Amino acid sequence: MTRFAAPVAALVVAALLVTFPLWSSPWESSRYATTILQSMLVVAILALSLDLLVGSAGMPSLGHAAYFGAGAYAAAIAGQRLGSDDLLLGLGAAVLVSAVLALAIGAVAVRAAGIFFLMLTLAFAQMVFAIAFQAADITGGSNGFSGVRRPTFLGLDFNDATALFHLVAVVFLLVLLLVWRIRSSTYGRALVGLRENERRMRALGYDTTRLKLSAFVLAGAIAGVGGALQAYSIRFVSPNDVGVARSVEAFVSVLIGGASTLLGPAIGAAVVVFIERVLDSYVPYADTILGLVFIVFVLAARQGIVGLVRVAYARVRA
Amino acid sequence: MTPETAVVQALNGISFGALLFILAAGLSLIFGMMDVVNLAHGAFYMLGAYITLTVVQRTGQFWLALLLAPLLIGALGLLMEPLLLRRLRGRHLDQVLLTIGVSLVIADLIGLTFGREIRSIPFPAGLDHAITIMGGDYPVYRLFVIAFGVALAVLLAIVHRRTRVGALIRAGVDDAPMLAALGVDIDRLFAVTFAVGAALAGLAGVIAAPVFGIYPGMDVDYLIYSLVVVVVGGLGTLSGAVAGSALIGPTDTFGRVLFPQFALALIFAIMAVVLLLRPTGLLGRIRIAR
Repeated sequence: MTRFAAPVAALVVAALLVTFPLWSSPWESSRYATTILQSMLVVAILALSLDLLVGSAGMPSLGHAAYFGAGAYAAAIAGQRLGSDDLLLGLGAAVLVSAVLALAIGAVAVRAAGIFFLMLTLAFAQMVFAIAFQAADITGGSNGFSGVRRPTFLGLDFNDATALFHLVAVVFLLVLLLVWRIRSSTYGRALVGLRENERRMRALGYDTTRLKLSAFVLAGAIAGVGGALQAYSIRFVSPNDVGVARSVEAFVSVLIGGASTLLGPAIGAAVVVFIERVLDSYVPYADTILGLVFIVFVLAARQGIVGLVRVAYARVRA
Repeated sequence: MTPETAVVQALNGISFGALLFILAAGLSLIFGMMDVVNLAHGAFYMLGAYITLTVVQRTGQFWLALLLAPLLIGALGLLMEPLLLRRLRGRHLDQVLLTIGVSLVIADLIGLTFGREIRSIPFPAGLDHAITIMGGDYPVYRLFVIAFGVALAVLLAIVHRRTRVGALIRAGVDDAPMLAALGVDIDRLFAVTFAVGAALAGLAGVIAAPVFGIYPGMDVDYLIYSLVVVVVGGLGTLSGAVAGSALIGPTDTFGRVLFPQFALALIFAIMAVVLLLRPTGLLGRIRIAR
């Protein structure tokens, strides 16, 4: 009985998530809530991909928005230049461009560890920001890229808001499933080995540089998918999607949700988007609140929300 | 490029390098002593510029700002080290993350107070004229920036090599736990180091305000510049900060003139090449990459 409880519960929650616009439709603010939830899911994809680096492999990347933004631009530009609305083409372009970018930057960055890795990823992401800013004839520069075409797939037209939400929710669940599979695979355990003791991993015969680079590219590609969904959602891409603020947003999501936990980054993303999108319309200093929340978590609850819940749960059971 | 523009751009480049030195020296000092990359360094720099804006608007006294801003920001650093960073001593990465939170708060509060527009202040009295160089007008203030940067480098080098504080800093950079074991009050030394590093960032903000602009987002821009400078020059040494800023300042300036499309990417390309060839940076002692 209990063997099936967890999978059944997970399926029910997943179904509730995907059908949110349907069962929330009687609410007065259903449209608004759906938009916010969609934005949470997009940031959650970014945070989940980042946690493969930060949590699993112990690689604190502070430039993860570079791959998110690259995916967003790639999907937008591919749709415009190729005149195609095919979803697979858009997502394919996003994955390809962000993975290649991650490979190029990662080739240098993974040679550094810890704080230095953080500095290099931050600096190189700023380089991508600069390129997005200056290559105005392709990206629209500081004005951004507006009028992103929404895709179609197997007769589904994602110009419809509800259909688009379904798409984002399903992709989020697929990413969650993928991350869960990676974490329990040999590969995922090798990444944790990197975090715990890189020298020992080398002694065991692992090519740790290649392992790190592969994780960096994989995380970059998943972030690129998130970026593409962001571009489809708001039909607009700007250098801000590549910028430091978004990288920090992802990093804060991972940390306050709980690094190296499956659901932590997604929960963290929900909190961050809530502060930045919902709270922001009530108080002017949302970023200050976000900064203070982050400081408190770093100081007092480094294990994040999921870690706190686990501790509380263990206490209740004991 | 005509010889005239070449000379003018060379001076622009050197003055930008001098500014970057003031900024990077503080970042490198804090790192050398505490193994913490202070990611609030750009926010402290920004705070220095906005304090200057306020002081100049209220009193018209730039020189008062030059005194006041480093003191205030140094005091902020003196509070921040024991209140926040010390709680995480030994957890360097978490200390770095903490500084991200601090910089979010500072940048947001500045944005709320001063709005999102680009601001500017006039050149300070006495340095608001131009002199003739190669037949064209050149603002004296930029020459002052160069002189100030050089003077500060000399002063810091003397303090570093010839004074008791300098000896403590050198010893702390070498081996802080050993220094503590020898009876030096390491808590105080760390707090003072952090305060001085913060004050240097604030000082750079004051010096930059009349000529390099006051705008939201300057915190990130200059944080990145200072990171690139210390990575290229080498972390934890004064000569590294000199070498890095002497290379990056002029390169960035000439890059903007010669190939404006790629200028912003140029310094990052240099950073990548330096890291691949010399993983410690040009004159550093700490291995940044393998």
